[in-house]
Amino acid sequence: MKRFLVKLLGGKEYQMLRISIFSIVLGLLAGAVILLLIGENPLAAYMNLLQGSGLLPKRSYAGKQNMFTDFVQLLDAMTPMVFASLSVAVALKGGLFNIGVSGMMMASGFVASVLVGYSSLAAPIAKPLVLLIGIVTGAFVGSLIGWLKYKFNINEVVSAIMINYILMYVITFFINSYYVDAVSRQSKLIGESARLTLVDVRAMGLKFNIPLAFVLAIIAAFVIRFLMDRTTLGYEIKAVGLSRSAASYAGINIGRNILTTMMLSGALAGLAGVTYFCGYMGTIQPGVIPSMGFNAIAVALLGNSNPVGCIFASFLITIITRGSIYMSSQQGVEIELADVITAIILIFAACSEFFRMYVSRLEQEILANSQSVE
Amino acid sequence: MIDTIIIEGLAFALPMFIMAIGGIFSEKSGITNLAIEGLQGFGAFAGAFAAVITMGMVSAGSQIPYYVSFIAAVLGGMLYALLHVMLCIRFKANQVISGVVVNMLAMALTSFLTKRINEALFGAKSDKFILDTSMRFTVPGISKIPVLGAVIKSVYPFEIIILVVAFIAWFVMYKTPYGMHLRACGDNPQAADAAGIDVYKVRTWAVIFSGGLSAIGGMSYAYSISANFSPSIYLGFGYLAIAALIFGNWSILPTFGACLLFGFARSGGQVLIQHLGMPSTYNDLVRTLPYVVTLLLLVFFSKNNRSPRALGEIYDKGKR
Repeated sequence: MKRFLVKLLGGKEYQMLRISIFSIVLGLLAGAVILLLIGENPLAAYMNLLQGSGLLPKRSYAGKQNMFTDFVQLLDAMTPMVFASLSVAVALKGGLFNIGVSGMMMASGFVASVLVGYSSLAAPIAKPLVLLIGIVTGAFVGSLIGWLKYKFNINEVVSAIMINYILMYVITFFINSYYVDAVSRQSKLIGESARLTLVDVRAMGLKFNIPLAFVLAIIAAFVIRFLMDRTTLGYEIKAVGLSRSAASYAGINIGRNILTTMMLSGALAGLAGVTYFCGYMGTIQPGVIPSMGFNAIAVALLGNSNPVGCIFASFLITIITRGSIYMSSQQGVEIELADVITAIILIFAACSEFFRMYVSRLEQEILANSQSVE
Repeated sequence: MIDTIIIEGLAFALPMFIMAIGGIFSEKSGITNLAIEGLQGFGAFAGAFAAVITMGMVSAGSQIPYYVSFIAAVLGGMLYALLHVMLCIRFKANQVISGVVVNMLAMALTSFLTKRINEALFGAKSDKFILDTSMRFTVPGISKIPVLGAVIKSVYPFEIIILVVAFIAWFVMYKTPYGMHLRACGDNPQAADAAGIDVYKVRTWAVIFSGGLSAIGGMSYAYSISANFSPSIYLGFGYLAIAALIFGNWSILPTFGACLLFGFARSGGQVLIQHLGMPSTYNDLVRTLPYVVTLLLLVFFSKNNRSPRALGEIYDKGKR
């Protein structure tokens, strides 16, 4: 058993990746146990998750839909999650904890909706403008948190939480006063020309919701990877993240660095906001802080704060959240069960450092044993 | 008008205070605790469940379910805190991340279980445990004193419970050997260890207490805000409690001040809206008051803020 574990998780090559996958498998197994306990068939439930997210064919489809349209829907839901988890990952690399992603998302989504979404600008201008506004708004909120941190020594977790609530209530006030849709009790749908998701596109006799920014999310992940691994800025961010005093001793300006990191993180959160509220949703629900910002923390962790890892982690978590709707309708289980499984996966992922240390201790044990035999 | 501000302000501030004390216990011992939000929710779930069960056994109007619910909440909160203990101490997880996932699980698990239990026991698909509305009492006579008398006017029983527990917590923290050990573990665990203190054990109990204390806060909100338990208990008051304790510089008395400030800013704003006869949408603007005030005050007072020195660091016996 020990040897098997060492073989599975030991060694240096892609160790963190293997450990992440190991946590996912453990989480899914624990979820299967829960499903068995409440008398459901875990295999069928997990199949439903894949079917609901367009990775396996369903038994029947509504008109103009098939597995492929479901899959495109999955990508649409996943796009903001990629940006949000990247935002958390960048801050983590810089030793900062960005719990304000939700607030930044709401702010950018709201500003973009009001300035562009309800205007009559043509699509070629409106769509890039929405992205730009998202970046600027997010970066502004992010740098505010960074500024409070280095100027006034305010813990970024606290200021971000305060700002989350302030933004949520202010935006709720404006939506309820000026932009509310009388039927849905949410903000009015934004215009098609500004929306980052092309809704109900007819092709090949099917109807698609095409996420325009998906490609951008993938590109962003690789840009962040390049920035972190190949540029001075990335090096400085990581140095500050590893040890603030050592970085300061090496001549890095800590204050400016904190500001830049939060600005970058905020810009990514802003992109998450516009792709969520002006893309996937098309509307903003007042009075609720989007849970995606908090989930993104865990997703970034599952992806080991690695930009490419974030893509895969977002993919996995989105499969569970999207697929859970179908699972709940097919099996009659509560939709919250999917969140329970997600949380369990993330709990195992939080232990990844422990797994790594445990395996390396086992490795040494085995090494010592084999030497004593000789 | 001032009476309402004081009455409602205290009813909001005291549960937050007890949650913040929970946070102080955990953080003073060196374990960052963002899990307060989940702990209070899980505690409220356990308490509300116990209340619903006992409500079926006693006659209507009985006060027994009320007190049973608080005991069950404390036990539930302590039990659930073990998860944070396990992740942070046994599995050496990043404490901030552990807090976030503990919250996520609490939210998912309690709403899942509430639906399941409601369906199994009462045959109703509901995500709520409906509680009796809490009684409130007024001390006769001296409550007639203008302004100050409002402190003892229509008081929730939980406010008394909280004050008593808070005093005990203060005593434990500052007047007992355990409290001193706890504070030592948060500032210099190596030295504490050298002095013969079992750092892991002290921290484990600190986090468990933190769970129990937070649960009292959660249960109080379940009674005072909505008179039921539902997923809407996760309004972020746990996070607000963390802000209060940081604002209070990780000490119990200044934190009490911070919580009172939150409470009065909140109730004051609401009374103002009613008084000026503004439309109810303005309530949302007023709700930002506690947060704005905190942020502004932090700007002035954070310079001297000093967290426990070993806060958030994973304690490794082998590393000196």
